Amino acid sequence: MLDIIPNVLYGFQVALDPVNLIYCFFGVLIGTLVGVLPGLGPSAAIALLLPTTFKVTPVSAIIMMAGIYYGAMYGGSTTSILVNIPGEAASVVTCLDGYKMALKGRAGPALGISAFGSFIAGTVAVIALTFSAPFLANIALRFGPPEYFSLMIVGITVLTYLSSGSMIKSLMMAAVGLILSGVGMDTISGKYRFTYYIDILLDGVGIVPVAMGLFGISEVFLNLETKIERDILTAKVKNLFPTLKDWADSIWSIIRGSILGFFLGIIPGGGAVVASFASYAIEKKASKHPEEFGKGAIQGVAGPEAANNAAAGGAFIPLLTLGIPANPVMAILLGALMIHGLQPGPLLMNNAPDVFWGTIVSMYIGNGMLLILNLPLIGLWVKVLKVPYYLLYPLILLFCLIGSYSIGNNTGDVLIMLLFGILGYLMKKFRYDAAPMILAMVLGQELETAFRRSLIMAQGEFSIFFSRPISLGFLMIAGLLLIIPMITQRKKLSTLEGD
Amino acid sequence: MGKADRISGIFWFIFSVYVTIESYRLGLGSLRKPGPGFFFFWTGILLAIMSLTVILRSWREKKSAGEKEPFFGKLNLTKIVLVMISLFLYALFMEKLGFLPVTLLLFVFLLGIIEKKRWSLTLLVSLAVTAISYLIFEILLKSQLPKGLLEFLRF
Repeated sequence: MLDIIPNVLYGFQVALDPVNLIYCFFGVLIGTLVGVLPGLGPSAAIALLLPTTFKVTPVSAIIMMAGIYYGAMYGGSTTSILVNIPGEAASVVTCLDGYKMALKGRAGPALGISAFGSFIAGTVAVIALTFSAPFLANIALRFGPPEYFSLMIVGITVLTYLSSGSMIKSLMMAAVGLILSGVGMDTISGKYRFTYYIDILLDGVGIVPVAMGLFGISEVFLNLETKIERDILTAKVKNLFPTLKDWADSIWSIIRGSILGFFLGIIPGGGAVVASFASYAIEKKASKHPEEFGKGAIQGVAGPEAANNAAAGGAFIPLLTLGIPANPVMAILLGALMIHGLQPGPLLMNNAPDVFWGTIVSMYIGNGMLLILNLPLIGLWVKVLKVPYYLLYPLILLFCLIGSYSIGNNTGDVLIMLLFGILGYLMKKFRYDAAPMILAMVLGQELETAFRRSLIMAQGEFSIFFSRPISLGFLMIAGLLLIIPMITQRKKLSTLEGD
Repeated sequence: MGKADRISGIFWFIFSVYVTIESYRLGLGSLRKPGPGFFFFWTGILLAIMSLTVILRSWREKKSAGEKEPFFGKLNLTKIVLVMISLFLYALFMEKLGFLPVTLLLFVFLLGIIEKKRWSLTLLVSLAVTAISYLIFEILLKSQLPKGLLEFLRF
């Protein structure tokens, strides 16, 4: 534990380098902006900026991308509260009470508590990350292919368990994601799979264009269906600083949200979206006045906003210690690290301490910047939102087009993005959740490799997954998550039949 | 979600059968040395089982309740399809024509024809967006956007 302090100091030395500070600042600023704009997520923003990061040092690149990611979590809440449109999937629940608060003339405190809550949670997560990452990296060194396989299976089942709608449909989407990850060259045998001599498929289906299509483009299509009435509050937002009573009401929600968010963030597949929903449910249960939820309860803003920021911090753990990306953004970061010749995983801490500690410490600084940036800039974000939708959606589409093109300077990625935009739109219509698909795609290659390596290692004995204690533990968790909904659903069906 | 589930279930079932056959052809290998198709063969089979479950469940639901659901908003379906087509055309022609002309055309189409804005406004906004996005992405961020027809500008 003691050796953490010099490491953190070293991290500050790296993060406070003026160049890195500037990259951190741009990261959080752009992150907040894409968080504010509905339909344009952090993956799209990082894709847009990816080419610029090839020329800078890996530390600066990762610091900026990380800033975009947690900055987006901050920005997403602003639109939820002021216009009832979540800028980010992780801010969907914030609409429920945040917008109601705004209607009651309490937009100021709602924005204020979500900014402070985010700041507190972000800081808690970074502190937890600082202390747990070296410890977890040590454990991870003992992980073999079976443990990696089982851990990733847990990640996918956690997400399908917690995702909205039908569990079987979520599992189906996870299977589709796994299959999609197989497109391209098989790393073990060198054979091409599912490519059919189509040039764009030889390198596999890119995660970034798929994520932009499923979450960005499809959102625009969905919005085009209906004429959106966006009643932006014309009244001036004032009293950003929450009162003492507001603080007393929400401080425990923030603390609970931070802890919950961090742990859900660690699990690949947990993530910010899930954390915000779980926090809302818990706050409603914990509250003495659950009837106020949905009518403008400040806890319903503070808890989820804290949770999604803490989860954004926690999501770095599987990437930095195991080399497993927990979501599409982490997958891009993983790719970016590898472009710079760094292999994320348990050894990263020793091989590239500047990247490891510099990135972590930059998040402390970034969180501070966000707090300072956001409170005075809320007026500016409101102006951004006043851009009418007939102008906003072509711009979002254009950013996605440029972003997907600039990943590899080819139109193949653009076409993939558009196809997945249509697929994502249809999936929304047919009630299939896109999140398990993208997670399975992100994990797919690693999962398959770990699976096949385990079998080779055990000489074809399938029992290797059950005979190693850590792996068995993971699989038992996954099994439980699969069984629980079957039992509860049967209950639901039986009550229906009783009617 | 009776009918919708049946349609989507059948779609994913066909998809899974296709994947399973293709994976089989790639080679399953053995448990000792799993081949390139092994993992996807079994994933495909799992997907097939799950999509059959969704289809069967939709039949059962249909018997219990003959519900009608509003599906595609009729009003704007043509609008969505037109936007989709314009985006595909953008992607297909961006390298041939170059970033500047296709972006200008896309915005003129979206604002002028889809959104039916005044032509003066459409032209002004389209020109401004094209110029500003070119400045930001090509000049400032060095994104290397396709030059296309304007290839001669590169010197």
